[in-house]
Amino acid sequence: MTISASFKKRLKYFELDISFSCPSENMMVMIGPSGGGKTTIIRILAGLDTPDEGKIIFGDDIWFDSAMRINVSPQKRRLGYVFQDYTLFPHLTMYENAAFAAVNKKEVYELFELFKIGHLRNRKPHRVSGGERQRCAICQTLARHPRLLLLDEPFSALDTITRRGLREELKNLKGSLSFPIIYVTHDINEALFLADEILPVVDGKNDDGWMQRMITREPSDALSARAAREPRLALVY
Amino acid sequence: MDYLALYVTLKLALVTTIFLMLMAAPIAYVLAYLRFPGKSLLEAFIYLPMALPPTAIGFYLLIVMGPKGFAGKAWGFFTGDSLLFTFIGITIASIIYSIPFAVQPMKAAFAKIDRRLLDAAYVLGLSKRSAFLRVIIPNSLGGIAAAAILVFLHSIGAFGVLLMVGGSIPGETKVASIAIYEAVETMNYRAAGMIALSFIPISYVFLLLINKLNKDSNI
Amino acid sequence: MKKHLIVALVLINLISPLSASAQEKISVAVAANFIQTFKEIAADFEGKTQIEVEATFSSTGNLYSQIVSGAPYDLFLSADEERPAILSKDGLAEKPFIYARGQVILWSANKDFCKAATWQDALKNNRIKKIAIANPATAPYGAASKVALQKAGLWDAQLRKLVNPQDIAQSFQYASTSAVDAGFCAMSATASPDGKKGCFYVIGEAPDTIQSACVLKRAKNRAAVKRFAEYLSSPEAKIIKMKFGYR
Repeated sequence: MTISASFKKRLKYFELDISFSCPSENMMVMIGPSGGGKTTIIRILAGLDTPDEGKIIFGDDIWFDSAMRINVSPQKRRLGYVFQDYTLFPHLTMYENAAFAAVNKKEVYELFELFKIGHLRNRKPHRVSGGERQRCAICQTLARHPRLLLLDEPFSALDTITRRGLREELKNLKGSLSFPIIYVTHDINEALFLADEILPVVDGKNDDGWMQRMITREPSDALSARAAREPRLALVY
Repeated sequence: MDYLALYVTLKLALVTTIFLMLMAAPIAYVLAYLRFPGKSLLEAFIYLPMALPPTAIGFYLLIVMGPKGFAGKAWGFFTGDSLLFTFIGITIASIIYSIPFAVQPMKAAFAKIDRRLLDAAYVLGLSKRSAFLRVIIPNSLGGIAAAAILVFLHSIGAFGVLLMVGGSIPGETKVASIAIYEAVETMNYRAAGMIALSFIPISYVFLLLINKLNKDSNI
Repeated sequence: MKKHLIVALVLINLISPLSASAQEKISVAVAANFIQTFKEIAADFEGKTQIEVEATFSSTGNLYSQIVSGAPYDLFLSADEERPAILSKDGLAEKPFIYARGQVILWSANKDFCKAATWQDALKNNRIKKIAIANPATAPYGAASKVALQKAGLWDAQLRKLVNPQDIAQSFQYASTSAVDAGFCAMSATASPDGKKGCFYVIGEAPDTIQSACVLKRAKNRAAVKRFAEYLSSPEAKIIKMKFGYR
């Protein structure tokens, strides 16, 4: 199932105008400077925000069509969404969180083992580390058998080492997942590491030249300085 | 010692608290999460009973619940009884008198919940109603409890409103605060003192509870 | 410096009493049944003497307990004889004098109410759901009404229909707005515009309320108070009282 979207939305400082599509078993990474509209795009895909005009189609289902006045609610889109934080419900235990919308409760145990948090089943989210919380958040979304997985800077709030570890686990997991995944980050290395396809978004628009400029120009900010220091894959662009 | 009056007071406070909490939850939800034109006007209107003197509230209720007012007439039509001078009448008065004390803490508690929790709930498939019951309420228990206690205490103290629309009927509408007033009027200071004294332990315990809840929810 | 001065001036003005006039003033505590009558008598008196009359209206019992607690009234117009007598005995007031005789009536805004032959029959009607009777402990008219009900053997039977307003004026208010089906009131209620719109029975079984007044020992302006007390018993005042149903 392919997700394909093309929409516009007037935001405070610029107009969002974007088109893209992402087929199954593909991970598309959205990258760009903060404030550029990436989170809004994800929220629109999830149904939490509404574009001014456009279309969003998943497989054969029309999720949004401004001309035909169709707008499917988030509840009905059956997708998974991992935020930077606050995905888990503070009043439930880790297990109850993951099992919240699970299709098969037994699977939750397996997922917990896979993500190595089985021993934290009965703890409340505020009693575990950030990395463990995000693992649980991923379990929570996967348990739902989502048709599309959205991740909005899921590891940005974690320390570098945890982030690297989770990044690798995600990449390993990706092979066994059949649905499209859209991943948002501001970390170029993370993007290069995970992506099958990269979508640079600057001020609400697709800006393919941005990647080129970020990588080849003199490092003038911490982000690109770090990018310059860390080993990276050969750029095929 | 007017046990009957104390009984009426506690019964009134309990019934008021239960009904008001149920009524105020959706109102607090609307005020916390929805945006619409005229919202601030609605909000000011809901908080009006806090600003009006209780006898003013009682005066208006006397008109509305009386046999010529729309509430009194409707009640008379359906039940053949009057709404004034009955326990149900003073319950309605007590609810209106305490509405702001229920809505305000609940609204504050609801608004404190991060929107992303609700977003997560919707994406996971919860309807708005289910999200309210299974996510919002469990995460605002501190504010809800504080609202309930405030309403209870405020109802125990109702006097001016009930003086106007209650008719001081023993066992039905003569609450402890009115009993104290009448005891003083008839120079029965000992009786007045005993009733007044009995308020102190009840109120004190509840106030300690509120304090503890406030501290807990601020962790 | 200037700001402090202004604040001080404002505070002083707020704290001190408002009227700086040299006009004489007396303060009277008046039982609720006598409100309308008193207002006319006082207005008359003020017109003739330039003495300002300030009145507080409430139930007899309430006023009495205020006076015992030291409330600064000059003159007390009670609805009974007992309370002024006690005040006099306890040294808080001078010798009481009778200023009016009142009657208890049963008044209803609904003219059908009075179609029955007697007030007892009217009350026994099942369609009568609520009756106002001023708190017998604090309102002498209420106490007189209770006596009448007990004499007629109706007190226990009617108990569940009784609503207890705080004073006789509130009793009439409930009755005239039809909040209750009928109310025990003072005869003076019938003289008011609202009172004329309803109908009433005279309650013969209720003892006449003998209303007596007394000058309080705390009174400041004794000469002015004495003048008013005398005026209260004057022929001009009597005409006003009779207009309102007092004897």
